[in-house]
Amino acid sequence: MAFLTPAFFLGLAAIAIPVLVHLIQREKKRVVEFPSLMFVRRIPYQSVRRRRIRHWALLLLRAAAIALIAAAFARPFMRQGAVAAAAIGGAREIVVLLDNSASMGYGDHWRRAQDAARNVIRNMTANDRATLVLFGKNAEENMRATADRSRLEAAINTAKVSSGATRYGPALKLAESILTRSPIKRRETVLISDFQRSGWSGSEEVRFGDEMTLNTVSVASPNTANLAVPSVSFARASFSGQERITVTAGLSNKGDEALKNVPVTLTIDGHEIQTEHANVAAHASGSVAFTQFTLTGANVRGTVRAGTDPLPADNLFNFVLTPSAPVSLVVVDSGERGSSSLFLSKALSIGTTPQFQVETTTASRLTPAAFDKRSVVILNNTAYPPAAGGSALKRFVERGGGLLTIAGDSTSWSTSDLDLLPGKLGGIVDRMEGRSGSLGYLDYSHPVFEVFKAPRSGDFSAAHVFRYRSLQTTPAERVLARFDDGAVAAAEKKVGAGRSVIWTSTLDDSWTDIGVKPIFLPLVHQLVRYLAQYEQPTSWFTVGQVLDLTQRAKSRADRIVVTPSGERISQSSMGEGNEGLLELTEQGIYEVRTAGATATARPEAIAVNLDPAESDLNPIDPRELVAAVTGHASPMDVQPEQTQEMTREEAEKRQSLWWYLLLAGVGLLAAETAIANHLSRKERFL
Amino acid sequence: MAQQQPMPGARYVDPKILARIGNLELLARNVVEGFINGLHRAPFFGASIDFAEHRGYVAGDDIRRVDWRLYARTDRYYVKQYEADTNTNLSVLLDVSRSMKFSSRGIPKIEYGCFVGACLAYLAQRQRDRVGLITFDNDIVDHVPPSAKHFNVVLHTMDRVKPDRPGNLAIPLHKMAEHFKRRGILVLISDFYEEPDGILEAIKPLKFLGNDLIVFHVLDPAEIDFGYEDASSFEDLETGEQIPVVPESLVKEYRQMIQAHIGALTTKFSEHRIDYTVLNTAEPLDRALFSYLSARERLMRVR
Repeated sequence: MAFLTPAFFLGLAAIAIPVLVHLIQREKKRVVEFPSLMFVRRIPYQSVRRRRIRHWALLLLRAAAIALIAAAFARPFMRQGAVAAAAIGGAREIVVLLDNSASMGYGDHWRRAQDAARNVIRNMTANDRATLVLFGKNAEENMRATADRSRLEAAINTAKVSSGATRYGPALKLAESILTRSPIKRRETVLISDFQRSGWSGSEEVRFGDEMTLNTVSVASPNTANLAVPSVSFARASFSGQERITVTAGLSNKGDEALKNVPVTLTIDGHEIQTEHANVAAHASGSVAFTQFTLTGANVRGTVRAGTDPLPADNLFNFVLTPSAPVSLVVVDSGERGSSSLFLSKALSIGTTPQFQVETTTASRLTPAAFDKRSVVILNNTAYPPAAGGSALKRFVERGGGLLTIAGDSTSWSTSDLDLLPGKLGGIVDRMEGRSGSLGYLDYSHPVFEVFKAPRSGDFSAAHVFRYRSLQTTPAERVLARFDDGAVAAAEKKVGAGRSVIWTSTLDDSWTDIGVKPIFLPLVHQLVRYLAQYEQPTSWFTVGQVLDLTQRAKSRADRIVVTPSGERISQSSMGEGNEGLLELTEQGIYEVRTAGATATARPEAIAVNLDPAESDLNPIDPRELVAAVTGHASPMDVQPEQTQEMTREEAEKRQSLWWYLLLAGVGLLAAETAIANHLSRKERFL
Repeated sequence: MAQQQPMPGARYVDPKILARIGNLELLARNVVEGFINGLHRAPFFGASIDFAEHRGYVAGDDIRRVDWRLYARTDRYYVKQYEADTNTNLSVLLDVSRSMKFSSRGIPKIEYGCFVGACLAYLAQRQRDRVGLITFDNDIVDHVPPSAKHFNVVLHTMDRVKPDRPGNLAIPLHKMAEHFKRRGILVLISDFYEEPDGILEAIKPLKFLGNDLIVFHVLDPAEIDFGYEDASSFEDLETGEQIPVVPESLVKEYRQMIQAHIGALTTKFSEHRIDYTVLNTAEPLDRALFSYLSARERLMRVR
């Protein structure tokens, strides 16, 4: 039993009126004149009679009538009755989509969402079935279609806000598939969310059938105030052999009010290093730079925490810092001209992320030991290393090393080593006459040229090519660039775990002037990074990313992952086909330990942060979403409180218990009138 | 043609009532003093037909009154003396205190009292008695001296009475006692809302003068049976005091008290040979008066 307007129960206080009338009423105001009251005066006046309730039945009738009328005005309805009323239309298949993304942790959003979900469950009839789907970035059937309301409610009660981002597409698709499979005719989806605009791109291919309805319950709050730390950047500098890091934290104020003097604290390995104060205007971003600190070792855990607000999860930003490792490479040239590798070595000496350690040698002096701890070997216009050097190079590449062959007039390969070369190298093509050649085609899909993909990101056509070596490639090799005459300018071949790339012209000023062009430096860096299979160390990941632990493994030993919540996941227990794949579902620091490692060894740390989009609480109009999914705006897509009220109102309206109560109250009053009249014929006292 | 207006107060002399009591007489129980011959015994010997006694002849006696037959037997002169029959004064003492205006249904007590007084005055006037009227509440209000010609004045005065003051028997009755010099018939009409002893004390002085005192206790039926049902505020007409009353709770006690009051008055009046009659305004006046007068006549014969 519930009441739509329980405030009317204040009217129950009116029950006191007949009681008071009974107790304190004076006899009727009508004055009866009497010749003399000398006898009446002698009779002790029984004032007690006024305080004694004489007609209990009458009093109870009046009180009951008032109570019934007050209850009628309170507009009661039975929850069971509501269920029964809903059952008039037949059983329903209900899918409750409960958003448990990180943004639901804002204020009381999650509590209200749970209340709304419970309300949906409580309004189920015995024949209805409901499925509880918790969704963030992905949707998960938390409770399969069941009519057991207690289990559903228990599932709602135990559900927690996750760290995931908001995506409505997967949840709606899952709901649609559940409803499609259902044999029940009436199919409803109730979407309970804060309706972040970032969760709906509009391009989701979700379409509900006509027999499916989508009701929405929005728990979004107007005028949300939210400060977030969406990112942190690091400036690395070497100082006396150690790396010094300057952390700059970005701040984003999504609220309508400017924030002043917000404390921003940097914590490194659990120690508060520094607290700065920042001002951030409304709907604006800012940054706070902390003073440098020296990076003492690998897997240093850091946290930036800014201010406090109803959504504390995004006020925190975790990161893990590890000293950057330089890319070591050896440039092999003919040694005849000392300046042939000048351009290369100068270009590679500039890099910071990563730093390049360049050693220059000649092919004849190349020993197998020269490949140790090298990532890339550049054969710069030189013959293939002979004897042991050549075979060592081959093994080096097959094991994952990178080989860049810069073709020139001195480049020559023995036939036995041609399998390392991407294509068959031909003669020199002279473009000295007439208009020189230029680079006409670049495979921007290739990681080397990907950075040049955007407009005005490097003009390769400005470089003149006067000579190059012709190259015949097979379909097994990938052509990365071509000259304007169609000749191959660069090609790649995968050899074992390694990569081999050939540049068919020189990278100095002898055959081209590319060395003095702006694109030279990034091109060389990209080539070396690609060949070294360099990946910039990631200081943090975002919730929802999947990590391949096998790629990060340095040993084949089993690895144990400790999640931020303390759960321990063994790599071998991740399931067949998923070995080594770790989905990052929690915000915080994951620890990856190698089984059997000593306790003193510092475990690998993985920092995981919220999707920055979760900080943007700007809501989408639920009707827009409903219209996109169902093709027509649902009449029930209203704000949560209203929806709740609507539901209650509907239940109350269907049952109309107030009508019966009012009738009963009036009936009691009529009975009271009859009885009171009957009694008053005798005494007319009440 | 202008219709002749009836005389004010004439309504109190209702022919219906008089038709019933017209053949009755209101005779003074005591000897009364009058000026002319009448129906009442006078305190003196007079020329009536009722023989009183013989006495010795003295010089100056009218020889016509000498009883010659007795002279023949005794050879002495005796004079026959006859009882004097005289008329008398009938004074109606009418209580016009506020309580007398009460009426639960039918006529108010004051009206009823006026009827009683007027009827008796009519009877008296018809038998050549002088009639007067004194109205009183807590003092004397109107005074119509007894006179053979004052019957109309009495009716006029009765017509004008306005019971609008509280009543008190002692003060006006004491004043009246000083006023009445001649023995007569006093008809006291009141509702007697005082203690019986107090009433008697107030009345005694009238009785001391030798007056024949007839007391009519006029009561409304509501005063006797207290037939109220509603709990209400009851206002004392005399004092204006209001008391919340739950009739149901006190009717029994009230009835006992009013009956005790009447009983006490009956006892005390009879002790003092005062005619005491309770008149219920619900009863037809003719019947009430008839029964009273008949009883009085019977009692007179017995005496």
